[in-house]
Amino acid sequence: MPPYLRNAADRFTATVSKFSLEGKIGLCGIALIVMMAVFAPLLSAYPPGKITGGSLEPPGADHPLGTDELGMDIWSQICYGARMSLFIGLAVACIAGLGGGALGILAGYLGGAADQVVMRTVDVLMALPSFPLLVVISAFMGPSVFNVILILVLFSWAKPARIARSQTLSIKNNVYITAARNYGATPFYLLRRHILPEVLPILFVLIISITSYAIMAETGLAFLGLGDPTSKSWGMMLYYATNFRSIYFTPYWQWWLIPPLVALIVLLLCLAFIGRDLEQVLDPRMRQNRGG
Amino acid sequence: MNERDGQAIIFRFVVTLLVILALNFILPHMMPGDPFSTMASDVQSEDVIVMTEAQREYYFQYYGLDRPLPEQFFSYLANLARGDLGQSIYYKMPVAGVILLHLPWTILIVLAATAISTVVGVVLGIISARNRNKGSDRLMMTGLIAFAEIPSFLLGIILLLIFCVHLRLFPLAGAVTPFAHYTGVLDQIGDIAHHAFLPVLTLSLAQLTGVYLLTRNTLITVSTKDYIRTARAKGLGDHIVWSRHALRNALLPVVTRTGFVIGMLMGGAVLVETVFNYPGIGLTLRNAVVARDYPLIQGILLVVAVSILLCNLLADRLYQKLDPRVVE
Repeated sequence: MPPYLRNAADRFTATVSKFSLEGKIGLCGIALIVMMAVFAPLLSAYPPGKITGGSLEPPGADHPLGTDELGMDIWSQICYGARMSLFIGLAVACIAGLGGGALGILAGYLGGAADQVVMRTVDVLMALPSFPLLVVISAFMGPSVFNVILILVLFSWAKPARIARSQTLSIKNNVYITAARNYGATPFYLLRRHILPEVLPILFVLIISITSYAIMAETGLAFLGLGDPTSKSWGMMLYYATNFRSIYFTPYWQWWLIPPLVALIVLLLCLAFIGRDLEQVLDPRMRQNRGG
Repeated sequence: MNERDGQAIIFRFVVTLLVILALNFILPHMMPGDPFSTMASDVQSEDVIVMTEAQREYYFQYYGLDRPLPEQFFSYLANLARGDLGQSIYYKMPVAGVILLHLPWTILIVLAATAISTVVGVVLGIISARNRNKGSDRLMMTGLIAFAEIPSFLLGIILLLIFCVHLRLFPLAGAVTPFAHYTGVLDQIGDIAHHAFLPVLTLSLAQLTGVYLLTRNTLITVSTKDYIRTARAKGLGDHIVWSRHALRNALLPVVTRTGFVIGMLMGGAVLVETVFNYPGIGLTLRNAVVARDYPLIQGILLVVAVSILLCNLLADRLYQKLDPRVVE
């Protein structure tokens, strides 16, 4: 094993060993869901979009969780849906977290006009009511996975940018930075050696919280009928199930509506547990102003 | 929390409002399809009546959709200034009328949920802070924080399944019983409360944790201050110290937060109303999106966005008024 990999692995185990019980449960839960997403073709007997049984069959030997109105297997939809929800969540979080973080560091480091432009944009974005706008924009842009990711990124880069900027500003004014600069440190060296190690842990915590925000928002949009109809995310399953007429007057909701609902709640709770523990382990300063 | 001077807040409000107006105007023109492709059909029914080319052109002209964009934008602003939000294509009546018809229901559930979540959150926060680090505090912290991670509409579906589908205690849709004959005002209020109960409960639960944590944490911070020690040293009783000295200062951020809570609930109501088929503007927005009713979507977005902005503005101003330490 190369040394940098071993180093990363050591740090990972060191971080995890400081997790609370909930955090460890969360980690196991996420690991399970990721495995479900990766091994979806092995775990499910049928492809998710194929009619493999009668309409609305109750759970049985052929279909462990029954079938939906079109006769598609619910269990395989859950397995493949994990891919969709995780992909959208992680894609949005990584692009918004790292991109917003980079912008924030740049704004904080450069200062002046660049800083003004970025921060005023951040101010307006954070004042905009996000969910109603999300609904309307995605209605206008049309439902596709790409559009959903794009819109969610647009609305979630502001927070990482603001936090990365304020961190960079507070680091930049330290005496050791001036000293390093006087010894001839290049901006790139300062960034790598002094700024990134301080900012990255905080960004990482934010990436976790943006992931769950994105999954929530995607589910909400899909639930309103604004998801990508070709992708079966858990939100789309909720949409199809709740839009089935008289679903509540029949027993169908027991195997059609409950599985995606439970899957989503488990996923979001696990992410929240991990996020909270990471926050406490990586950044003790943030502990004091929780819930503000 | 720097930049809290009045001018900056108002400036930001105006800029944000302008951004929303511009977005609101430009977005419908980027939407795929046009409102006339489903105009003549019912949202719920499957059959779509297709118009001839001549009919479409007539409607494009009638609604002014064939004019250049800047011209449409200025006439949009001028109409807005007169309180005219345009004509809903789907409902075939003024947008302002459609919104006024549904807005009261949304306001009802949002205000009720704000009141309930604030009162219950503050009470739980006080209990938790007074028993800090004891079993009950830990239990409430863990439970409520975990609870807050479930998005309100998923919680709504769970409540709906338990109370409406399984126990059959509450209705599945609507804000009043259709064709009901009321024996009196009390009867009518009861019916409305019966329909609003679950949406209000869902929205309250969604905001409860925020208020709870804020009350608990500020109370704990306040209780370490010197003036609390002074009050105790004077020989004041525990109850007086908590209620007169600690609580009065700790509730300040809670009061100002209420404005933000109303704003957040307005946004959350869109999904929760859809879950419960509650006829507020959230459900109307969804129907408008399905029917591609441009003017109605614009109108609802505007009303929701402006009320959220106004609530935030009010919260910021209130904070300045209530806290003498913030210099204007």
